[in-house]
Amino acid sequence: MKVGQKYTIDKQAFLAVLDSLRRDAKLIGPTSGPDGDVVFREIASVKELTFDYVNEFDPVKRFLIPHRQDLFRFELGKRPTFEPLVDTSPQILFGIRSCDVKGILHWDKFFSGAYLDNYYLEKRANTTIISVACNQPLDTCFCICCDGGPWLESGFDLQLTDFGDRYLVDVGSAKGIAILKKAKKGLQEATRQDLDLRKELMAKCDSQMVPTAYVAKAIIQITNNRVREELWDEMGFECFSCGGCTHVCPICTCYDVADYMESSTCGVRFRCWDSCQYSGFTREASGHNPREKTKERIKRRFYHKLSYAYVKLDGHHGCVGCGRCITACEAIGLLDLPAVVKRLRRQGQPEAEQMGA
Amino acid sequence: MENLYLPQLAVIDQIVDETPDTKTFTLHFVDEKYNKSFSYKAGQFVEVSVFGKGEAPFGLCSNPLRKGNFRITVRATGTVTNAMHEAKVGDVFGVRGPLGNSFPFEEVMGYDILIVAGGIGLPPLRSLIEPIFDKRKKFGNFIILYGARTPADRVYKDALEQWASRDDVQLLQTVDRGDESWTGHVGVVTTLFEKIKVDPARTFAFTCGPPIMIRFVIQDLLAMGFADDHIISTLERYMKCGVGKCGHCAIGHKYICVDGPVFSWRQIKVLPER
Repeated sequence: MKVGQKYTIDKQAFLAVLDSLRRDAKLIGPTSGPDGDVVFREIASVKELTFDYVNEFDPVKRFLIPHRQDLFRFELGKRPTFEPLVDTSPQILFGIRSCDVKGILHWDKFFSGAYLDNYYLEKRANTTIISVACNQPLDTCFCICCDGGPWLESGFDLQLTDFGDRYLVDVGSAKGIAILKKAKKGLQEATRQDLDLRKELMAKCDSQMVPTAYVAKAIIQITNNRVREELWDEMGFECFSCGGCTHVCPICTCYDVADYMESSTCGVRFRCWDSCQYSGFTREASGHNPREKTKERIKRRFYHKLSYAYVKLDGHHGCVGCGRCITACEAIGLLDLPAVVKRLRRQGQPEAEQMGA
Repeated sequence: MENLYLPQLAVIDQIVDETPDTKTFTLHFVDEKYNKSFSYKAGQFVEVSVFGKGEAPFGLCSNPLRKGNFRITVRATGTVTNAMHEAKVGDVFGVRGPLGNSFPFEEVMGYDILIVAGGIGLPPLRSLIEPIFDKRKKFGNFIILYGARTPADRVYKDALEQWASRDDVQLLQTVDRGDESWTGHVGVVTTLFEKIKVDPARTFAFTCGPPIMIRFVIQDLLAMGFADDHIISTLERYMKCGVGKCGHCAIGHKYICVDGPVFSWRQIKVLPER
C-alpha cells in the first residue's frame, strides 16, 4: 500500500475500522445537532454519525486551535514555578470537508517557520484527518474559486468519496495506510470505472456551485492600493465589528494571550481566539490605536486575504471558499469575501481608471 | 519540541527611577547556564511576564557586548507595566527572548552615525549607542539628538551627562517645555537639525520615539538628502506572542515582532499602513 493509491471499501467495513480506532484516539465526526444542524463532536460510537450534511457552520479549527487553550499553569512565590499544559492527546477528525483540510494545511505552514508553535504542532502531529469529499455544495460554497475542494489531491491522511454503499479511498499518508490496513474485508483497488465515477460526481458538484469570488482583479487592486477610499468608508459604515467573519474563517488564527488567576497563588496563562475586526486588537496601553476606525480594520482583513504579499508568503490567497463568512456576516451580503471581491471589482477602482480601462 | 511560550525566571538586581513614571530594571536569569548563554543584539526586545497580570514587550537597553545581565526601561502605562513598577530588588519577572531583528551594527562601521531619540525612544537606541562607544574607532562622526517633553521626562540623566562630557560624540538635547533649571534648547527634536552638520551620503541615521516624532524626523532626514536605506527606524505595535503567530503586530504582511522592530525607510515606505 502506498501514498497516492486509491481503493474502494465497503462503507460498513470502513465504519467498523473507524469504530475500532476509538480505543486509541478521540473520534470526532459529524452528528445531527438538536436543531437539525450538523455538529462535529467526539462520538462514542459510529452509530452517532450523520451522513446527511454538507458542512458545519462552526469551523473544525476548534479541535486544533481551541477557543481557549491553556499554555501553562503557574504558582506565585519567591520563585514562581510553572507547568506547561500541552495537549497531545490523539484525535481523529472524520468527515471533515476539503475546504477545512485546506485550512489545516495553511496552519501547518503558518505555525511552523522560524518559530515552531509547539502547542499547535504537537496536537497536529497527533491528529488524523479522514476527510470526505463533497458530492454536493451548499449554496454559499465557492471552493472551486479557491482550490479548496470539493476534493483534494493531498493534505489528508485518508480522503473518502461517498459512492453510496462504498467509499472511494485516497491514501494520503503513512497514518492513512495504517488505518486502511486494519480493514479485514471489502477493500479493493479502485478501478477505472471508480475513478470515472468520482470525476462525474465532482463535476456535478462543481456545476452546482455559483462561483462569485473571481479574486484576480481584487488581488491586483488591493496589492496596488488602487481601491477608492469611499468604498472603504462605505464598508466601514456597514460593518458591525462583530468578528464573526474571522471566527468562522478556516484561515484566520489570531489570538490573544492573557493570565487568569484560579486562586490567590495559582493561575493559568492561556490564549484565546481574537479578531482583527475588534477595535481593541491593536489598541496600545497608551490608548494609541493605529486601527481605531472600522474601515481600517476591514482594510486589514482584506489585505491579509487578498494582497499579493500574502499570496506570495502563503502560496495561496487567504480563503478556502467554505462560504461561512457569507452566513456569519451581520451586514448581510455586503462584507463577506465574495461580496467584497465583487465590490472591489465593480466599484473599487477610482473613476478615472474605470474610464481609462 | 521547545515550548515557545514558557518564560525564564529573571531576578531584579537593580531598579533606577528615571522619571516620575519610568524605571530601569537590571535583571539576570536565575538559571546560571541560561544566563551565561544569553546573548542579544542592539534593537532586540524581550517579552516580560508578571505572573497573573500578563506579558508585555520591552526593547533591551543594555550594552549587548557586556554579558551577565541586561536592562529594560519601563514606563508605567498599563496593567503589566504598573505591576512591574511595584516590584522590588530581588523579585522575579518571567522573560522570553531575545526576540525580533536588530539594528545594523557591523554593517554601519566606517560611517558617521546620527541618533535621533524622543522620550522613551532612547532606551532601545542606548543598546546601540554603548557598543558604538566600545568600538568608537570603527565609526566616523557620532551625533546624538535627544528630545523629551520636559527636563524631568528625560531618561538616563547620568548617562546623558557622561556622554555630554565626551569629546568623541556631539550630544544635543531639547525639551518641549523647559523649567526654571533648564538652560538648554527648547523645541521639538527636529529643531536640532539646523545645529548639526552631517554628510547624508556618509551617515546612517537611527531614530526611535513617538510615532509622530518619527514621522517628522524621517521627513526632515529625507529633505536633508538621506537615502531611504540610510534611515533606520523602529516600528511599534501592540504585541502579544512575540513570535509572529498571534497576529496583533502585523503591518501589511510584516510582523513587527519577527520582521522588526527595526526597519529602514526603504522597507517602511512600501507598507500599506504606517
